Amino acid sequence: MLARGRGRRVLRLDHDLLQPALCSGEGGSTLWTSRFPWAERPADGGKWSGLVMAATRAESRAREIFTTLEYGPVPESHACVLAWLDTQDRCLGHYVDGKWLKPEHRDSLPCQDPVTGEHLASCLQAQPEDVAAAAEAARTALESWSGLPGASRAQHLTRLAKMIQKHQRLLWTLESLVTGRAVREVRDRDIPLALQLLQYHAIQAHSQEEALAGWEPMGVVGLILPPTFSLLEMMWRICPALAVGCTVVVLVPPASPTPLLLAQLAGELGPFPGILNVLSGPTSLVPVLAGQPGVQKVAFCGSVEEGRVLQRTLAGVGPELGLALGAESLLLLTEAADVDSAVEGVVDAAWSDRSPGGLRLLVQESVWEETMRRLQARMERLRGGRGLDGAVDMGTRGAAARDLAQHYVREAQSQGAQVFQAGDVPSDSPFFPPTLVSDLPPAAPGTQAEVPWPVVVASPFRTAKEALAMANGTPRGGSASVWSERLGQALELGYGLQVGTVWVNAHGLRDPAVPTGGCRESGSSRHGGLDGLYEYLRPSGTPARLPYRSENLNYETFGLAVPSTLPAGPETGPSPAPPYGLFVAGRFQAPGARSSRPIQDSQGKLHGYVAEGGAKDVRGAVEAAHQAAPGWVGQSPGARAALLWALAAALERREPTLALRLERHGVEPKAAKAEVKLSVRRLRDWGARAQAQNHSLQVAELRGPVLRLREPLGVLGVVCPDERPLLAFMSLLAPTLALGNTVVLVPSRTCPIPALDVCQDMATLLPAGVVNVVTGDQDHLARCLALHQDVQALWYFGSAQGSQFSEWASAGNLKPVWVSRGCPRAWEQEAAGAGPELELRAARTKALWLPMGD
Amino acid sequence: MSARNPGTELDLSWISKVQVNQPAVLRRAEQIQARRTVKKEWQAAWLLKAVTFIDLTTLSGDDTYSNVKRLCYKAKYPIREDLLKALNMHDKGITTAAVCVYPARVSDAVKALKASGCDIPVASVATGFPSGQTHLKTRLEEIKLAVEDGATEIDVVINRTLVLTGQWEALYDEIRQFRKACGTAHLKTILATGELGSLTNVYKASMIAMMAGSDFIKTSTGKETVNATFPVAIVMLRAIRDFFWKTGNKIGFKPAGGIRTAKDSLAWLSLVKEELGDEWLKPELFRIGASALLLDIERQIYHHVTGRYAAYRDLPMS
Repeated sequence: MLARGRGRRVLRLDHDLLQPALCSGEGGSTLWTSRFPWAERPADGGKWSGLVMAATRAESRAREIFTTLEYGPVPESHACVLAWLDTQDRCLGHYVDGKWLKPEHRDSLPCQDPVTGEHLASCLQAQPEDVAAAAEAARTALESWSGLPGASRAQHLTRLAKMIQKHQRLLWTLESLVTGRAVREVRDRDIPLALQLLQYHAIQAHSQEEALAGWEPMGVVGLILPPTFSLLEMMWRICPALAVGCTVVVLVPPASPTPLLLAQLAGELGPFPGILNVLSGPTSLVPVLAGQPGVQKVAFCGSVEEGRVLQRTLAGVGPELGLALGAESLLLLTEAADVDSAVEGVVDAAWSDRSPGGLRLLVQESVWEETMRRLQARMERLRGGRGLDGAVDMGTRGAAARDLAQHYVREAQSQGAQVFQAGDVPSDSPFFPPTLVSDLPPAAPGTQAEVPWPVVVASPFRTAKEALAMANGTPRGGSASVWSERLGQALELGYGLQVGTVWVNAHGLRDPAVPTGGCRESGSSRHGGLDGLYEYLRPSGTPARLPYRSENLNYETFGLAVPSTLPAGPETGPSPAPPYGLFVAGRFQAPGARSSRPIQDSQGKLHGYVAEGGAKDVRGAVEAAHQAAPGWVGQSPGARAALLWALAAALERREPTLALRLERHGVEPKAAKAEVKLSVRRLRDWGARAQAQNHSLQVAELRGPVLRLREPLGVLGVVCPDERPLLAFMSLLAPTLALGNTVVLVPSRTCPIPALDVCQDMATLLPAGVVNVVTGDQDHLARCLALHQDVQALWYFGSAQGSQFSEWASAGNLKPVWVSRGCPRAWEQEAAGAGPELELRAARTKALWLPMGD
Repeated sequence: MSARNPGTELDLSWISKVQVNQPAVLRRAEQIQARRTVKKEWQAAWLLKAVTFIDLTTLSGDDTYSNVKRLCYKAKYPIREDLLKALNMHDKGITTAAVCVYPARVSDAVKALKASGCDIPVASVATGFPSGQTHLKTRLEEIKLAVEDGATEIDVVINRTLVLTGQWEALYDEIRQFRKACGTAHLKTILATGELGSLTNVYKASMIAMMAGSDFIKTSTGKETVNATFPVAIVMLRAIRDFFWKTGNKIGFKPAGGIRTAKDSLAWLSLVKEELGDEWLKPELFRIGASALLLDIERQIYHHVTGRYAAYRDLPMS
């Protein structure tokens, strides 16, 4: 089936179609027989020249154009880029400490125009010593930079904004030239957004001392960028990092010069040269960067698999890892939508060089035909070509992106999908046409795989409920849009989607004040808004993160087996004895293993036995927690607060018993009483804080609010520390419950009995399954929780090895993981025991955009 | 002009479910202007093409035979001959698409055009232009008189009251009667979109007007506070496309009011090209109602040919 010319068609790509000879027009110079002049190639069959360089004949072509009304080339000169590259003798090194760093004996990679293949410059690849030099520069700069008053940093950021403004043409031309993206998109969107980001974060820096009291900058931040969108992704992260007082080392993929230019502009501002350092090199350098002294945070932006590998590699290395993974987006089109506008939403999401990834499109069955017809008609009008042409919708993203898309489309076809492509692009061109895939069977592997740019995969759904199930049925949770003119339905879907950003009747809007990020396998880091600032802050007084990695930790066997327990002497027993068993689904149950573990008191005497929980018990507890989750989330914050307060009152009644238990474990009577009292207060405080979690933002260029919603993570696994057996348990439990999570807790290893005492009250007060307490071997239970794919977050307070293992194992479903790294925590202090850090970690932020207008 | 639109039976199901999201349409309107542009020869050719879409208009209280005559002459010779020669376009017979006047001036225009020996159609506004607030009987009579005077295109205004109160059957019936009164003359229906309240109403009114047999739908009279805007045009163009998909009839589109610069006219051309396609880029299906626009286009052509910016005295007035 050869598809050519215009008109609607559903075509299956086959090999013939991709042969240039079949697709090329007169004399092999025009490749597009239809009205999509993606690119032209000289008659001699030489290199791709792109539309821009299409022959401009000397004589007037006006007569011809008058008849055809074709679009012509709108070339943007890249002379300024060449001039800039000439200042570097066409050899780009790294920009470190305000200077170009061009060490000798380094490999170099060419930086090319993706369309013509023109050699632009060679880029030196960093070696570990270059990384060390950059980290050193950032560390040195950190002292002066983080010590500045926020207002001074704000001044500096404003100056950087002005600097960018002065050189914006060079920036946008360079970015468009080397990435191949449409210059219009870079010029009209990326650059203004970059300036807004600087402005917004300058304001945040200015008011930092008041607004962010109690927080301090983390230190040196390592930032790893993807090849496309490097300029914008960099700005989203360096702006908050610099604003709060961190300094940055950026690692960009080979041949991405825009971040280098940006660093040069920042460096030329003067007094703080080392705050922004840019290295070009492969991602294999990330562990080197993460291992540099002083590096406290690594922010990674790239593919899901890379992120997973990185999380495993960096387990125990020290820096906190912030992941922003994947690029796929989702669009949900209901029958109550303005279909034509939704089709434009699809264009914004996949075919306009605005977004980095492909799109999963869910369309209600009743408007399926109409939508497909409109989509295909719209696709016929898309124009592709060289990015530096001012009138193209889509540029190229280079051979790698093209091959990825090609592979996906071929796979989809072999699985029986229908493929529609607007226009024909020969396989040896750097371009890939906009592609619509439909009828992909639900069981086909392609349905679960991430959709690459510029592919749209459409599937029908029957009801809004089914749409939600389908949308939430992939492991990714980046961004989504909902198209419906019915407010109630739109909100229902917007709240129900498990993603970081939801736009209602729009797609791809961004603003510096709105936190953006994902959940699940899209990574849990945020950028933009207040949430973006916290990514680079830590509570004041937190000790620096040091490497605690144990090289001989065997991930395969850690916590795998539970040492068997034997009767251990005369039982002195607590009085009154708490019920024996694991507290799961609201009642005490016998452990699956039917064995117990002895608990000793401070004298070393056998205090009693608790149940020995195992993998099956954890599975049951997680299941119970999942069953309880919808009901618990559905409770109003007020209702949750009331229950926490009721639990606090019950705890108060139990005070004498609990204090006695703690005393048996060697706590001074006075301190034991204080610990119980403080535990009661934690419950009351978090009950009160459960209110008012959400608020709305007002952003530029949008009429209507953006809601910043704080949503529970889902089922949380919490492994409590040995120290402060009751207080730590309560300090961890209270915020998770207050924010709507359900939880599986492993109480203190040495002293689990007070936690079991409290379970008796929870059994009567809380809905079954909201809290589950599993006693047993800490390592083993931590292993079960960390490897569980349906636990949405893990907090581990225990040994260094257990921490390292938890970080490693959580990479499975990329759950956010918070570990103690073997350090005890001062639970009795307000900041550590009940600070805003817990609140941040116990919920995630979703931005819900609600444009208005009639 | 092209084949007439026979219209269809009134089918309210075509409009009952329609949804237009205003903020989304506004965003599309912004994008479309930023994403398409033409330069150099393309620009010159497009501008000359734009000239052939113009309904050169004068709708003033002080119109007399002399300025209508001047307008007609300008319609025949819209661009200075030497400029056209320089572009090798002098033999393309470039004129404006029509001249557009008040009913009382139709005979003047017909006379002037006959005198200069050209067959540019004369369009007349009618039906109580611009408000439409007169009796149906007189509105119909007005159409008939204009046609008798020689107008071959009638630009009628719809009764906004019927739209705002949702009387779609009544609106359909009125336009049907206008269509009948026109006889062989083409019917261009002005929706006065600035007074319809919402974009959803614009879509519905467009659809009703086409079902009732309009050959063109036109944005505005040029006398409302809000004239031809891109968002409104996008909605109307989508309605035209939907009507085409349902019936196979191509209906023309005419933005009018506030289109003054050459750059604007290019944006309108690419808007139609993007939303409907090249088939609509001909005078039979696309018109621009304007008066000052022509002069600015001529200035741009002057600049393209000579490389210098023109003074107003360099170009003949209309």
